[in-house]
Amino acid sequence: MDNNLAGDSPPPPPPPPPPPPPRPKWRKVAYGGMQIGYDDNYTDETFLEEMVMNANVVRRDLLKVMKDSISISQYLCIVALVVLVWFHTLQSSLDETSLLLLDLSLLALGFLVLLLTEEKMLSLRLLLRYVTNITFFTTGLYVLAPVYQTLTRSISSDSIWAVTVSLLLLHLFLHDYSGSTIRAPGALKSPSLTSCISVNASVVASVFVASRLPSRGHVFAVMLFSLQVFLFAPLVAYCIKKFSFGLHLGFSFALMGLTMYYVYALHRLFFVLFLVLVVVVNVVCPYWLIRMQEYKFEINGPWDEAKLCFDITD
Amino acid sequence: MAEPKLRVLMVSDFFFPNFGGVENHIYYLSQCLLNLGHKVVVMTHAYGNRSGVRYMTGGLKVYYVPWRPFTMQNTFPTVYGTLPIVRTILKRERITVVHGHQAFSTLCHEALMHARTMGYRVVFTDHSLYGFADVGSIHMNKVLQFTLADIDQAICVSHTSKENTVLRSGLAPGKVFMIPNAVDTAMFKPADVRPSSDDVITIVVISRLVYRKGADLLVEVIPEVCRLYPNVRFVVGGDGPKHVRLEEMREKHSLQDRVEMLGAVPHSRVRSVLVTGHIFLNSSLTEAFCIAILEAASCGLLTVSTRVGGVLPDDMVVLAEPDPDDMVRAIEKAISILPSINPEEMHNRMKKLYSWQDVAKRTEIVYDRALKCSNRNLLERLSRFLSCGAWAGKVFCMVMIIDYLLWRLLQLLQPDDDIEEAPDINFCN
Repeated sequence: MDNNLAGDSPPPPPPPPPPPPPRPKWRKVAYGGMQIGYDDNYTDETFLEEMVMNANVVRRDLLKVMKDSISISQYLCIVALVVLVWFHTLQSSLDETSLLLLDLSLLALGFLVLLLTEEKMLSLRLLLRYVTNITFFTTGLYVLAPVYQTLTRSISSDSIWAVTVSLLLLHLFLHDYSGSTIRAPGALKSPSLTSCISVNASVVASVFVASRLPSRGHVFAVMLFSLQVFLFAPLVAYCIKKFSFGLHLGFSFALMGLTMYYVYALHRLFFVLFLVLVVVVNVVCPYWLIRMQEYKFEINGPWDEAKLCFDITD
Repeated sequence: MAEPKLRVLMVSDFFFPNFGGVENHIYYLSQCLLNLGHKVVVMTHAYGNRSGVRYMTGGLKVYYVPWRPFTMQNTFPTVYGTLPIVRTILKRERITVVHGHQAFSTLCHEALMHARTMGYRVVFTDHSLYGFADVGSIHMNKVLQFTLADIDQAICVSHTSKENTVLRSGLAPGKVFMIPNAVDTAMFKPADVRPSSDDVITIVVISRLVYRKGADLLVEVIPEVCRLYPNVRFVVGGDGPKHVRLEEMREKHSLQDRVEMLGAVPHSRVRSVLVTGHIFLNSSLTEAFCIAILEAASCGLLTVSTRVGGVLPDDMVVLAEPDPDDMVRAIEKAISILPSINPEEMHNRMKKLYSWQDVAKRTEIVYDRALKCSNRNLLERLSRFLSCGAWAGKVFCMVMIIDYLLWRLLQLLQPDDDIEEAPDINFCN
């Protein structure tokens, strides 16, 4: 059948509707009310454009972290040696004169190390000042030794050991392993609150242990030894580390060997525990830290509070 | 009276008589919604002796629920303690949409949770920016994730705020609407006679003097500008911990006659302080949405500001980095373009750029979208909480299940029909 009827042409198709006017480009501004053609929840590709991820994250290397963790195990060895000396003194295996000799030799050694590694200390006036300070310190301790001896007479031994152990743990937790709380004069950074608390905890622990000793001479010697080590050993270790890394490594390994030997001589179980602790600190923890770094997700963007580029001096 | 189209409950810890940005926003938005013919009820905690039901302008009903504020104007978070009172208010006023404000408000989070359990539509507006790195922010973001896991729509007051909220809560960007704050241009009019800018140029600063608002930047910028331009004087309004540093700065550079410190300025007097100036300086380090700039622009002042891109057109604001040298450069540029500024014309432009009526209309669209969202039952909603985190998801599910059970228990003890519905009273004309 013919679709074309005679005489009648099909009506022309209606003209296509004019295309809608192109909507203006969306602008990321807050003024002007609703933008024509866009909903308020319109999100375009500039969304989250200024976000910066993981800008300040430090990529860590396993070997470097293990080398840095040697400082921690070195300090653990120093504290272990101090506890060993306390133990032997309390058991009367070490007598007064040998302790005093130990003190003097440690003092001389420490001074020597500081002189050799730190250039600033060579001036005579500074040296004289240090000698006078140390003399005052030692004299003060000697005078106060009777007070320390009778300090905890009314407290039971169990409480003393419990408090000493907790204070030592606190000291280890809060200790500043990267530097030293006692600095040479003219140092830049002032010590933080936690490092001051740790020094105080170690001093109080030494006082408690010293107060359990039989004679004044013992008390003086042990107090001098403990305070010397807790206050100045970090400074000496820091100077050695700054001077030469090889020397630092050698010093740490020597200390570790010495500690292991004496702990083994004391008790097998403590030796095993100490060994496990050193392995965990030096090997397991760095590996764990590196594994956890993958999860780090730091977000920065225009919503962050601006950092002032100048120091606020009050 | 015609049946109101929408019945909205605004919930927040922050409302009048406390004064601030969120309070202002809720009040103005409610007034404009009332003008559009909807019913608005506000719920907040008791302020001092002010407890119970109060009526504000236009018939705005405010429930000052008798809970005492605990810290920083927040009620003590009891998680389920507010369930009875929220249920009573929702039933009594026959609410259809619940709108919570401010992520920092515990009352808001609790009310939104109860409203969702009872099947109401829920909308949330976030007014501030938060970081991601410190302990407080991490916890706040987790709470926000919980609330926004099951929300119908969300509103943010600026584009930066939208990006920040989406990152913190993991919400889809398509669910977040950007509706800015506005300014009451009828209250902030320029002066009838503009102070002459030929001999003395006055720069006005009104902000809380705290670290966040860049008070330290002011201490560096003011002496430098005073040194470069002998005909500039500063008027500083506001109080805070950094007040002492500003006083010291005045003493040190002998600027007592060129820098005037007004102390805390009540909001009713802000306009009279603004109209004495030519330039408004804002040095805040971070700002979700700076209303002070809008108020200054509405009074005809040229603004110099940090970090607030996109709030004002480029010819009304000079932007600077939060660095003293850059800010001094921006102030120099502002002083040079000052003669071409016409306050009346700026005020008229502001009337078109920002108005609360526009905000209310856009919020109405959000409410309509929220009402169109399908109502899900408890089991479907629980699956959304599980994605919030390995441990947190399960804790959130437990919290919602207990909330649901408590609601059913309340329905048993006090059936829905026993709650008397409040009549709608027509206040307008």
